[in-house]
Amino acid sequence: MKNLKIQSLLAMLFLMLPLFSLGQDKPSGLEIIQNVYNRPEGNNIQSELTMTLINSRGDERVREIKQFSKEFKKVEKKIMFFMAPADVRNTSFMNWSYDEKNKDDDQWIYLPALKKTKRISSDSKSDSFMGSDFTYDDLGDRHPSDDTHKLLREEKLNGEDCYVVESIPKDEEYMYSKTITWIIKDKWIGLKKEFYDEDGEFLKTLSVKKYEQIKGFWIITESEMHNEQKNHTTNMKLQNITIDGGIADNKFTERMMKRGLK
Amino acid sequence: MEKFLNRVLNFPWLIMVVILVISALFFKAMTANSHMETNLDKYMPQEHPAFVYSNQAEEWFNINDGIIIAVENKEGIYNSGTLKKVKDLTKALQKMDEIEKEDVTSLYTADNIIGTDDGMDVKAFYKRVPKSEEKLQELQQKVRSNEMIYKRLVSEDEKVTVIIAEIKDDVFSQEFYNNILNLAKSFEGPEILHVAGRPIVEGTMALLGPADMKRMVPIVLVVIILVLLWVMRSFKNTLFTMLVVLFSTVWTFGLMAVVNIPIYAVSTMIPVMLIAIGVADGIHLYSHLDLYLLGHPKATRLEAVRDMIHGMWKPVVMTSVTTAVGFISLLTSEVYPIKYFGLFTAFGVMAAMLFSLVLIPAGVLLFGLPKRKKVVVKEDEERDHIAFKLAENLMRYKYITIIAVALIAVISIIGIGKVWINSSFLEKFEKDSDIVLTDEFINQNFGGTSTLNIILQGKDEDTFKQPAALRLIDEMQDEAEKLAVVGNSFSLADYLKRMNKVMHADSAEFDAIPGSNELVAQYLLLYEMSGDPENLWKVVDYKYNKANVTLQLKSDNSKAINAAIAVVEKFKAPLAAENIEIKYAGSGYKGLVFTDLILEGQIKSLVLSLIIIVVLLSLMFKNFYIGLIGAVPIVITALISFGIMGLMNIPLSTTTALVSSIAIGIGIDYAVHFIERYKIYALKTQDKAITIRETMLHSGRAIIFNAFVVIAGFLVLLASVFPPNRSLGALVSLNMFTSFLGTVTIMFIILYVSNIYFKKK
Repeated sequence: MKNLKIQSLLAMLFLMLPLFSLGQDKPSGLEIIQNVYNRPEGNNIQSELTMTLINSRGDERVREIKQFSKEFKKVEKKIMFFMAPADVRNTSFMNWSYDEKNKDDDQWIYLPALKKTKRISSDSKSDSFMGSDFTYDDLGDRHPSDDTHKLLREEKLNGEDCYVVESIPKDEEYMYSKTITWIIKDKWIGLKKEFYDEDGEFLKTLSVKKYEQIKGFWIITESEMHNEQKNHTTNMKLQNITIDGGIADNKFTERMMKRGLK
Repeated sequence: MEKFLNRVLNFPWLIMVVILVISALFFKAMTANSHMETNLDKYMPQEHPAFVYSNQAEEWFNINDGIIIAVENKEGIYNSGTLKKVKDLTKALQKMDEIEKEDVTSLYTADNIIGTDDGMDVKAFYKRVPKSEEKLQELQQKVRSNEMIYKRLVSEDEKVTVIIAEIKDDVFSQEFYNNILNLAKSFEGPEILHVAGRPIVEGTMALLGPADMKRMVPIVLVVIILVLLWVMRSFKNTLFTMLVVLFSTVWTFGLMAVVNIPIYAVSTMIPVMLIAIGVADGIHLYSHLDLYLLGHPKATRLEAVRDMIHGMWKPVVMTSVTTAVGFISLLTSEVYPIKYFGLFTAFGVMAAMLFSLVLIPAGVLLFGLPKRKKVVVKEDEERDHIAFKLAENLMRYKYITIIAVALIAVISIIGIGKVWINSSFLEKFEKDSDIVLTDEFINQNFGGTSTLNIILQGKDEDTFKQPAALRLIDEMQDEAEKLAVVGNSFSLADYLKRMNKVMHADSAEFDAIPGSNELVAQYLLLYEMSGDPENLWKVVDYKYNKANVTLQLKSDNSKAINAAIAVVEKFKAPLAAENIEIKYAGSGYKGLVFTDLILEGQIKSLVLSLIIIVVLLSLMFKNFYIGLIGAVPIVITALISFGIMGLMNIPLSTTTALVSSIAIGIGIDYAVHFIERYKIYALKTQDKAITIRETMLHSGRAIIFNAFVVIAGFLVLLASVFPPNRSLGALVSLNMFTSFLGTVTIMFIILYVSNIYFKKK
């Protein structure tokens, strides 16, 4: 009788062992998101972006953009030039995003037909990025401390082991009420993300189609955002990527915006 | 036929039982399977090119009819209470299942394109409800300085603001309608809320029309029964005459249920037709019976019935067949509900014929002859006297009648020239009804409650990034807005002018289309980058080769829409030079096309049935002239009916146009009965004087009874609360009266003058 009891106790402990060890290994939701946020991407990057907008009828519009970005001390600067379509060629867009909390981005646009650089206000991070299904906020890095994160489960997606993390914004007025992200373990790449609108209704899905290791950095080279409510899709593809190839500090000025691509 | 009828009538009980059983079965099918079709889109021929195009364009630009909720605060709308209501109501509407989130437009959701010192911005007017006086004034200034919003979403006196919720065609239901009205009501005080817009008008109409009919038809029936009792002086006769109407209606709707065809709004006219037509056979049969009994007081039931069948089966069959053919000619219409209307009414008429020929005689056989008191006979004699006098005087002063009829015909033709078609839904309501008043209120304060979508289609991509094309659109809008009926217009040009202006420090000089293709493209890119690009797809398509110009009209009637179209058509040539085609879309336009289709079909079928009836009558009476003479009452009735509509400025609409079918159905009945009787007496006596007197006595009496009964019944509809039902009542009564008058006067005279059935002396 006694023996049996000890045996079963041992058996139970043995069975619970993997659970304990798993519990120790498992990072919290916040930790996972922090790892994604801190994933290194290089100091400066230059690439060509092909943005394809697809509406519910399957009509497509394609925009080609050459973009440069560079990490400065307290600011990340980005400049983009339209290559196509022809009627907007050399229209340029510049964005300075500050690390400092609560400081809005500075944004400029240069319209060659008007020969004027204009500031555009950026208090609306929920605005669509160039008519796409991405908002400015979707493209930038949202600070992990802005949301409350919770690890929901672990599961395989597209053959990768992923953490599934739910993030709920602390600001109730934020455009999303909830996002759910599938993050590849140890690569810390978000493979898929679901967005729920301010009323809690399912809004859109971001799917990463392709990611490559370039110069040791994991770079997402193709992603697609599908807006379920509008049945509209945006595909973004990066080509000719140069990482840390060196971009002059003075690339990010109004003068350079006006100069355009030669 | 006569033999067959007589044989069948050997089993009167069996007839009763069979008819009752079949009626019960049809009734069961009716209660189990009948359903109303209230979706107006289902009425339209979807394969018609104008509809195909419009539906397509509606999909391209997400054009939907909007429910307009106006929030009025007599103190002005710029206070946190009212603004909170606008926000909450907007959100409540967005949450409704029938409404897509992006399809709600209000001051809360609208984009404000503004110029800043160093650029442009597209922002919401407010997200959080402004509380401080300062913020409220700031909002007021923002609205005032934005011509895309001021006077469109906020009234000029700043006491009213509207919320527009667009809904898809097929989501409208009674429940949704009630929900919207209740929702608006729950937001009242101190603000007043007004609900309008085409879906509301259509919804109210779809509910009000049949509901009113349901209320009025029993009263009509009661009045008809009372008048029948009075003219027939017999409960039994009245009962059986009404049973003919009742059973034929049950069979018709029962068959509809069996073959699974829904009840359309026009189908509610079927009982109307069957009442008018079904009563006639009964009256003529009993009238014949009465006269026979007058001459043969000792006759048995069987003898009397035999004589009735002998004398009347032919005219009853002839009238029914010609009437049915008249309705079947409606199959030429392109509109399915009208085809069904024609087909099923024809079936109902044939059913009524069957019941008249078997049920009425069977009733007499089973329940005895109508009782007659001596006094009554005397009264009849007196009336006979009047009939004789009428007949003689008519002949004596026949030229006066002919001239009068010619004069009336001429006046009617002048009137017909003035007839106009109205596809307006709103004008079907009382001038002082809530729905009309709300509409007027919104029209006074805003651009208009009705819309016309002009769809411009360019040959190449990016057509609508070309300044030349945009300038033409702008000019077209300016021209259209000069019309009093066009309150506002909206297009891609408005976006570009606004952006051009704010990018040049709000200088009025730049409130114009940008000068180059590149600048247009770059403004649009800028807009996409700062605003909600979805808004653009309501005015232009993805590839910029199709554009949607919306005109807001203060009326949905055909004159208003046609006036706007006329202005737009002036731009056809210059637009064609830019390789741009003009087309139209939207429910207002579809309504216009639809009405035209109905009327075209109606006129086609009117002409066709007239021809068929002339041929049928010629064959039946084996005389072509009789065919022509028989058509006289119909022609006169139709002429006067349309003439009066023109002279009294009653527009043609779907209901009023259908009434002309009655003119044929009834007019032909009178003519056939009358001619048949005339023929019998003429051949029997070969004496013109006796013939006209006896015909007037026999047929004339029945016709006048018939006309009297139906007119009395339908005049009841004048008390209806739904104006289209009122005009229906007035026009049916009018048509009955002119048919009757035409038959006993001008047709009678022509028949007399023609000398048909009299051997030449």
